[in-house]
Amino acid sequence: MSKPKLRTRLAALSFSEKVKILEKLRERSRAIAACGLRQKPSRKRDV
Amino acid sequence: MADNGSVKETLEVINNMQAEGVIRKYAIGGAVGATFYLEPSATVDLDVFITLPGESAGPLVSLAPVYEHLKAKGGRVQDEYIVIANWPVQFLLPANELERIAIAEAVETEVEGVPTRVMSAEHLVAIALRVGRAKDHSRILQFLEQGAVHREKLQDILEQSGLTSKWREFERRFLEGSR
Repeated sequence: MSKPKLRTRLAALSFSEKVKILEKLRERSRAIAACGLRQKPSRKRDV
Repeated sequence: MADNGSVKETLEVINNMQAEGVIRKYAIGGAVGATFYLEPSATVDLDVFITLPGESAGPLVSLAPVYEHLKAKGGRVQDEYIVIANWPVQFLLPANELERIAIAEAVETEVEGVPTRVMSAEHLVAIALRVGRAKDHSRILQFLEQGAVHREKLQDILEQSGLTSKWREFERRFLEGSR
């Protein structure tokens, strides 16, 4: 499915369904943040 | 309040707070409000615009009664948020007439059977334009791309809020050449 079609389809969901997706997106972000997989910003800048 | 919270539980707490007269009216704004009209996008918090009972238009209105009420029910203050049912909620008092009208004219809806109110698409766009951060501009473009705003209603709101020139600037920066 193309990206614009997917966006339209997601936008057409009920608010309850969209909120469920929001909650999953948030849980995923928190899980990623908690497991430390995100790269820490380097202290030294590459020149 | 539950550890594994949900927006539904958060809204139940806010509705109870309204029923108990701690707040008068509320409307969801920000990214969660935009999600009512657009595809869901990741957000960490819930922006809730509120009016208080007997609120005067003065600048000294305080959110203290809201915080005290929620802390007594187990809410936890975290920076500018209060965490309710595991969701950080930012309570915002209307800073201008636009936000006051946006609360008054919010759309009635529900989340899993829990009644709630969300700002209209046109008010969300006007507020995003006024705030004017990069993420606000991006959200306005999403609203326009998805045809989620009534253009005449938006123009009326922009005129009433003195945002017409800002809108022209937005159009010049982001929309010219895309039509």
